[in-house]
Amino acid sequence: MPRRTLRNLLACSCLVMLAACGRDDGGGRGGEAKAGEVPDSLKYGGTATIGSFSDLQSMNSLVSSDYYSSQVQQYVLFMPLVKYDAELNPVPWLAERWDTVRVAGDSLDLTFHLRRDVKWHDGVPTTARDVLFTFDRIMDPKTAFPNASSFTPYYNPKAQLLDDYTIRFRLRPHSDFLDAWFQAPPMPQHVLGKVKPEELLNHPFGTQSPTGNGPFRFVRHLANQEWVFEANRDFPKGLGGRPYLDRVVYRNIPEMTTLLTELLTGGLDVYLAPRPSQVAQIRANPALEVNHTSYRQWVYIGWNTALPQFRDARVRRALSMAINRQQIVDALLYGFGDVGRSTVTPAHWSYDPRDPQTQLPHDTAGARRLLAEAGWLDRNRDGVLEDAQGRPLRFRLETNQGNDTRKDIIEIVQAQLKPLGIVVEPRLVEWNTLTARLQNDVGGERKRDYDAVVNSWVDYFRKDDRDILHSANLERPFQYVQFSNPRADFLIDTTGVMTDRQAALPFWKEYQHLMVRESPYTVLYYPRRIAGVNRRLHYGEMDTRGDLLNVHRWWLDPSARRAAPRPPADTANK
Amino acid sequence: MIGYLLRRILGAIPLLLGILTLIFFVVHLAPGDPTARFFSPNVAPEVIEQMRRNLGLDQPLHIQYFKWLWSFLRGDFGYSFGQMRPIGEILPEVLWNTVQLTMISLVVIFAVGMLIGIVQAVRQYSIADNVLTFLALFFYSMPSFWFALMLILIFSLKANTAGWPIQFPASGMTGVEYDYLSFGGKVSDRIMHLILPATALGIGSAAGVARYMRGSMLEVIHQDFIRTARAKGLSERTVVFKHALRNALIPIITLLGLYLPFLLSGAVLVETIFGWPGMGRAIVDAILQRDYPMVMATSFVIAAIVVAGNLLSDVLYAVVDPRIRTE
Repeated sequence: MPRRTLRNLLACSCLVMLAACGRDDGGGRGGEAKAGEVPDSLKYGGTATIGSFSDLQSMNSLVSSDYYSSQVQQYVLFMPLVKYDAELNPVPWLAERWDTVRVAGDSLDLTFHLRRDVKWHDGVPTTARDVLFTFDRIMDPKTAFPNASSFTPYYNPKAQLLDDYTIRFRLRPHSDFLDAWFQAPPMPQHVLGKVKPEELLNHPFGTQSPTGNGPFRFVRHLANQEWVFEANRDFPKGLGGRPYLDRVVYRNIPEMTTLLTELLTGGLDVYLAPRPSQVAQIRANPALEVNHTSYRQWVYIGWNTALPQFRDARVRRALSMAINRQQIVDALLYGFGDVGRSTVTPAHWSYDPRDPQTQLPHDTAGARRLLAEAGWLDRNRDGVLEDAQGRPLRFRLETNQGNDTRKDIIEIVQAQLKPLGIVVEPRLVEWNTLTARLQNDVGGERKRDYDAVVNSWVDYFRKDDRDILHSANLERPFQYVQFSNPRADFLIDTTGVMTDRQAALPFWKEYQHLMVRESPYTVLYYPRRIAGVNRRLHYGEMDTRGDLLNVHRWWLDPSARRAAPRPPADTANK
Repeated sequence: MIGYLLRRILGAIPLLLGILTLIFFVVHLAPGDPTARFFSPNVAPEVIEQMRRNLGLDQPLHIQYFKWLWSFLRGDFGYSFGQMRPIGEILPEVLWNTVQLTMISLVVIFAVGMLIGIVQAVRQYSIADNVLTFLALFFYSMPSFWFALMLILIFSLKANTAGWPIQFPASGMTGVEYDYLSFGGKVSDRIMHLILPATALGIGSAAGVARYMRGSMLEVIHQDFIRTARAKGLSERTVVFKHALRNALIPIITLLGLYLPFLLSGAVLVETIFGWPGMGRAIVDAILQRDYPMVMATSFVIAAIVVAGNLLSDVLYAVVDPRIRTE
């Protein structure tokens, strides 16, 4: 361990020189915990490598929709108008402040005041014109902006340029109206302004030559191989100045064993989303650490509530109670998951693990009672439950091919339900085929040809179950479970427009209780996001906001950097 | 000869068009859609519809076919839906990555394979022959993905933890610090990254080639003219390498022709395990994402290379065997 002793030595000698933390007024909190060890000026330099199973779709926020592209857009290459603090309240970022005014009728005027010291990486200032341009493209249906639905509260064309750094929007009240701007960082008008909206998707900006304005600038992208970013030396001092790292390399490696090997041998500094089964090996290596956090994903069994056997909420509740979800989390996720409650994930501010009404216990006796109440009894003593007409309680439980965890889930569920007299037929279906069946649109009439499905949803920070559970959307593609409940509709409508969290809390609670009582979805678990990190990289905290949250504050131990490429020219003035 | 070549090339055109037409319709008939990766409750169906319009997928299939055919005939492969850029840019990149890898492993395959085969044939039933036969069968029957993982575990992971003097990188084409290396450093960095994947890719086939070489060499060695050559008093070296080897090469050349497509089609499993951005991964990604233009472009490259490979081995026959030349 020569590296570690060296670091400790360094730590001791530098203990007195407590680095000032005043620079970090931008909201980033991580990376400062160990700030006492190394003086600030020594933190600059080095290359950090991030490895992931997935490649990035595109850097153009107007056309991409995958998680990792968003992460890199939000934290590395661009600056969204707002960021989130640890409690998931929006805080200023590109916009130094904003104000809202309620205007006539049921509308809000939202005014953003932009920072004046942010420049695109080619030197052109980032102004409100870029925001206006981005908004226009978002609102133009020809762009086919994937996240258009998050902008539904915004009236179009009601954007008003007040001056070069001030822009005003008019919108309907919505509980999280700023989230849209976190998801979609503004794009440069001077680069993309002349591109036709329908050609944005294939424009080289996205994958070959993105011009950003964030803490890192784009250097190079080799498809299926790597994205290279380097420190933006002109990043505003008021937001912390240039990042500590000289370069960030995002590598795509499509094989998890190779990813693990690269982390173990020091080729990678961060391995994003390792398999839970790989965590023990990462932990066994003293040079590495494992970070994990709750996330906005929920893995569920969706019940086709239009089918007679699943129409009764008691049956759905009984099924939830009969499945030992803790066992699934322990066996398949090695504990890196939280047992499911309602459709609201631990990442949502209203989630409360102490509220017993948000969770059904594992209780097979209770499940049997509920099933009997609902009329499911073993009438002919063949070990299988039947209803009054003698039809057995049997269903297909499907999931997509190529996901071993889900394959194991349907087998475990089959085994757990068998003693109760419920016959589960596991089925693996190719992804495209499964999706088509879940959404199946036959002659304008949705015929969803499935019994029950294991799948998952990922929420935005703005939690809104409208598309998947509101009865107004029964004819739309994502109401897989065909759930219809007036109270649920009311609660979705109500929570969707309330901006005051204190006032909204009772409704959120009621919604969660209702989702548990009705169980249109049996939420199996909330997986945690994991990252394996080399200790030489001071990674800071990781939370539900994302893996790359603190990338502009990451720094490498000076003694453990890769061969120094060039003298860190501009670190002296820090 | 030239007339023969021309006839063969002209004959290949309708064949290629037929193959591509078939692939076009088959891949469009498969369930799914290039926009499927955007499916999520946050993405409205109207947005998906617009994407389909932007990509030209809303038109009837036969119109799409003629549009594709027309631009294809003008040498335009269109845009990849998956990588969101012109395929004309992607193909050379991907092909070059793959050729670097497969060229090296092709050399490994034929150099190692032929050498072993010759040794075995000349020393038939010796201990060396038996050991080599065993080893050849061992490597031949080993799945390449497993072998690749073992190489990584031993020469990358184990070498690292045990502190071996030499350690190979587990993935990628270049190291993280590649940009800052000198020219010599860059070359050796690239070679270091090539060794494990090229070995994983080549070793099984080398074992196969060795078996062919041994068999074909043995057949030749037992023929009368070899005895005559020996009787003339020629050295054993001349007998083996000049008289026997040249005659034994014909089946090997056929094999070379069969391996040529592999040169450009890449190897999905090995490329995936070593994170090598080559043709194999491009094809599989394209198929999984229903990236129709990319599927068509890569199919074309492979179909063309198969045809060319067959043509080439026919020509090589003629070079090696004067009897074919004069016919």
